[in-house]
Amino acid sequence: MSPWLLVAVPALASLVGVVVRREDRWAGAVAVLAGGLTLLLAGIAWVLEPGSTAGHVLDLPVGGLDLPLATATDPARLAVATVVALVALAVQAYSTWYLGADDRYGQFAATVSLFTAAMLLVVVSADLVLTLVGWEVMGWCSYLLIGHWSRRPEARRAALKAFLVTRVADIGFVLGVVGFVAGAGTSGLSGVVGAWREPTGCLQEQLAAGAPLPEALGACDAPDGRARTVLLVLLVVGVLGKSAQVPFQDWLPDAMEGPTPASALIHAATMVAAGTVVLAGLHPLLADSPTARWVLGVAVSVSMLLAAVLAFAQSDLKRMLAWSTVSQVGVMLSAVAAAPPADGPDAGLLHLWSHALFKSLLFLALGWAAVAAGGTAAVRMRGSASATPVLRAALLVGFLSLAGVPLVVGGVSKEHVLAAAYDGAVAGDGPGVLVLVALVLTSAATAAYATRGYLLLTAHRRDRPRAGTVTPAAPAVLWALTGASVLGGLVVLTGSFALHQVSLLWLVLTVLVVGVGVALALVGGLDRDPAEVLARRLVPYADRGLGVDGLYRRVVARPVLRLARVVAYVDTEVVDGYVRGTALATRAAGWLGSRLHRGERSSTAVGLVVGGALLLGAVGVLGWS
Amino acid sequence: MSTVVSVDLLVLAPALAPVLGVVLLLVGDALAPGRAGGRWALPVAACVLVGGAVAAVRAALVAAEDPARTLCLPAPGDACLWSAGPRASALQAGVLLAAAAALALVHEAAALRRDTAVTATLLLAATTGGVAVAAARDLGGWLVALELATVPVVALVALRGTRPATHGALGLLVTSLASFALLVLGAGLWLTATGEPTFSSAAAAGAWEDPQRRAVLALAVALLVAGLGFKLSLVPFHAWTPQVYPRADLGTTAFLAGASKLSATAALLVLVSALAGVVDGPGPALVLGLPAALSLLLGTVLALRQEDPARLLAWSTVAQAGWVLLPLTALSEDGLRAAAAYVLTYATATLVAFAAVSRAGARSLEQTRGLLRRDPLAGGALALALLVLAGLPPGVVGLVVKILAVSAPVAAGVWPMVAVAVVAVVLGIAVYLRWLVVLPGPRREGDARAGGEPPRGWASATVLVVGTALLAVASVLPHLLLTAVG
Repeated sequence: MSPWLLVAVPALASLVGVVVRREDRWAGAVAVLAGGLTLLLAGIAWVLEPGSTAGHVLDLPVGGLDLPLATATDPARLAVATVVALVALAVQAYSTWYLGADDRYGQFAATVSLFTAAMLLVVVSADLVLTLVGWEVMGWCSYLLIGHWSRRPEARRAALKAFLVTRVADIGFVLGVVGFVAGAGTSGLSGVVGAWREPTGCLQEQLAAGAPLPEALGACDAPDGRARTVLLVLLVVGVLGKSAQVPFQDWLPDAMEGPTPASALIHAATMVAAGTVVLAGLHPLLADSPTARWVLGVAVSVSMLLAAVLAFAQSDLKRMLAWSTVSQVGVMLSAVAAAPPADGPDAGLLHLWSHALFKSLLFLALGWAAVAAGGTAAVRMRGSASATPVLRAALLVGFLSLAGVPLVVGGVSKEHVLAAAYDGAVAGDGPGVLVLVALVLTSAATAAYATRGYLLLTAHRRDRPRAGTVTPAAPAVLWALTGASVLGGLVVLTGSFALHQVSLLWLVLTVLVVGVGVALALVGGLDRDPAEVLARRLVPYADRGLGVDGLYRRVVARPVLRLARVVAYVDTEVVDGYVRGTALATRAAGWLGSRLHRGERSSTAVGLVVGGALLLGAVGVLGWS
Repeated sequence: MSTVVSVDLLVLAPALAPVLGVVLLLVGDALAPGRAGGRWALPVAACVLVGGAVAAVRAALVAAEDPARTLCLPAPGDACLWSAGPRASALQAGVLLAAAAALALVHEAAALRRDTAVTATLLLAATTGGVAVAAARDLGGWLVALELATVPVVALVALRGTRPATHGALGLLVTSLASFALLVLGAGLWLTATGEPTFSSAAAAGAWEDPQRRAVLALAVALLVAGLGFKLSLVPFHAWTPQVYPRADLGTTAFLAGASKLSATAALLVLVSALAGVVDGPGPALVLGLPAALSLLLGTVLALRQEDPARLLAWSTVAQAGWVLLPLTALSEDGLRAAAAYVLTYATATLVAFAAVSRAGARSLEQTRGLLRRDPLAGGALALALLVLAGLPPGVVGLVVKILAVSAPVAAGVWPMVAVAVVAVVLGIAVYLRWLVVLPGPRREGDARAGGEPPRGWASATVLVVGTALLAVASVLPHLLLTAVG
């Protein structure tokens, strides 16, 4: 089965969805059916086609470049594709209830379908140009989804901010892709990896053959090691932007202005996780470049710890989940950064898989609870989930997973990430130690804020908790995701992800760390908000994301605007001056010409003819002889 | 007779057809003067013109390999007075069709005049000259044909009878006499320099080798260019153009702007083809380049200021004549080809524009406002013609011939001309866009003419349809035009 089918079905669904967007029922049916079909296809492909296959539609030679437009399906990619399809289906089904009364539901469903198609394209692509296409389409779709309620100025600002921040980081991504493709002469992933794998190989061969250094340098115009490092760092910058890691982290909490299902999709399985997939594909290069690994490792270590602390101190629970996403994506990327070449990036992909399940579960459950409570502020949402069994179960499993308790899906993957980081620390040429320390601290903080979230939503009583009215779709989705979160850890038994055995030691360590976090959260007793107890002073700063928004404005926006003003001034006053001068000169010449032709007498004309002939004759004779 | 000079009537057919028309008209008018108001004369004339054009096209197809020759003297001289290659034949076909288009516009206004037979006769006579000059290779035939192409037009302008028309005709006559004097003088000098009464490369090469005869040859070429410059409306020999165009009736103006320019270019190509590949250096390029540059700049700049469509087209003619001359400064075969392609495109577009103006009855640009809605045929055709003249897509053919015209001097390294051409392109776009933007505008309130008397006249409609079709086909398949001119 062609992996293109996986991309084509949701893409087609978005097209059809745009056509039928006025009819909510049609739009919903198209979206859910296409989501189901995609999930079915992905699941069949995953189960029936073990082993990796590579395919390409057409070889497209463009100038000196080769564009194979290749796709690849190995078990890890198919597992990720399956979970993407599953989350997309859950979001589509849930939205039929959540946005049932929205007047622009049709557009929303179509955008979600397109978003899914783009993410699946990134997952199955083995061609950097295809990856770039999916990457860009996701950026565009995220703008549309975050700004869905575009009548609210906050939503518009959040959408623009997300778009601008990720765009700025994408400069690095595009430059990196262009550099890799240009150096390799092909955009195929295997070709790129092959060409850049041993940057000094050609040079060494030449030197071994006895050529002097300058000649060897001349003969090897292809990739060299320093260029590879620069390109990898550029690519990492792009990934940091889309994944909302430091220093680009601030767009993600603001993106909570979008509808909750959109947040679930963006956070759980698609955009922010896409960077992990891309870097996993390029892992053979990344593992070989300590500089790029250090850049990535430092950024994600800072991100995951900072975001976990900020999540703990949020006064808005939806924003708490947003910061937790920043932290968890950092965990995924840390596995890619720290894993030594021998380990491979699959620990990161496994965490992507589990994060997709439990984070979508948490978002969708929180969305329901927020509808019941009438807001997402912690004060308002206290106890809002306590009345509904499905919400209690969903939140329990979700927060257990988030905290990384062993045996549920989040715990399994986190142990593997820890193990990979430990391997990296032992190997010693990357940021392994740093990442390992950050991971342990983050695990404790995560356990603390997960405990806080669960306590606030279910344990704290309010006067009259109401469940609100829902269609059967919402509980069904939540039950399904709850089940998947409990059992999802079994995926390690399928062997889809290339993982090492994890010793029991990690299990014990995880339990210890989580225990510390939970205990920390419970210091103030069961009935008080742990954030009030432990971090009362931090809350206002955490709510503003430590004021990074202002920093963006001061460091980036204002200088750019100032530069733009200078350029505009030069354009209107200097460049346009020449243009206006030309027009003026032309008009003056025209006026002068008409003056000369005012006397319309035959004698003037004859005089001109004779004079012209004389002139021409003189020029001819003098010029020719 | 035939033992002295060989005559092939079929080859001569393009020139003989208008002569036949003249005879038919004169005889018919003598037998039945004023019959049916003389209106029969114009269709008859149009028929013979189209017949002649068919003969010219046939000649162009036959002569793809070898020029069609006739009126040859017996050996050993073996000189032929009539030699028409594919390019000359294509220009002849252009002259005949342009004359037919002018006739159609005359026909439209014929209700107002009584002497249509005379008008048609004069037009046919001028056409005969224009056709003959393209194939003439000897000085005598060339001069006579060129004058035959000019003098009847003076009568046509004067025939309108109004005071400004007479004034214009007088200016035209006086300048044309002066320029004829220059031509005769130039022809005499050519004979002195080369010793041969024909335009041939061998003769020119002989004169070019000898330093003393070279100066005489230079003077001859300069005077011949000056004389032709009058017919092509090159600066500084252009002064009659903006006077005559608005004063003569539109049919006559269309003849001056179309057929007359085609025949003048054909005559110029006869002269330059004798020089191409033989002479080089800055001197010859300067003799051709100076009028070209002046025409390009002055014509474009003054066209920018005009409000009357006829005057605008007059100054546009001056600028376009500069474009025709521009590739010739390269003095190469490519340049000749580019000039022929350019003049054919220019003539078609200008005739379409005149037909549209005639149909709209506009005396100012403002009166064509909203023409696209009022009369989509005239408005659409005019828009395409203006785009072709400006060299903007979708009038692709205009762009193609402009590129060809510039590429010849580029290949020959005549950079100053290229610089002038670039300036002229930019200004030229402003000239035609200025007119183009008023065409789609809304109908103006209180404009009596715009009130919408229904457009009439199948004659101008035919010109518009045929001209637009030619431009459209040439825009889609430009290589058809380029193969036609060799």
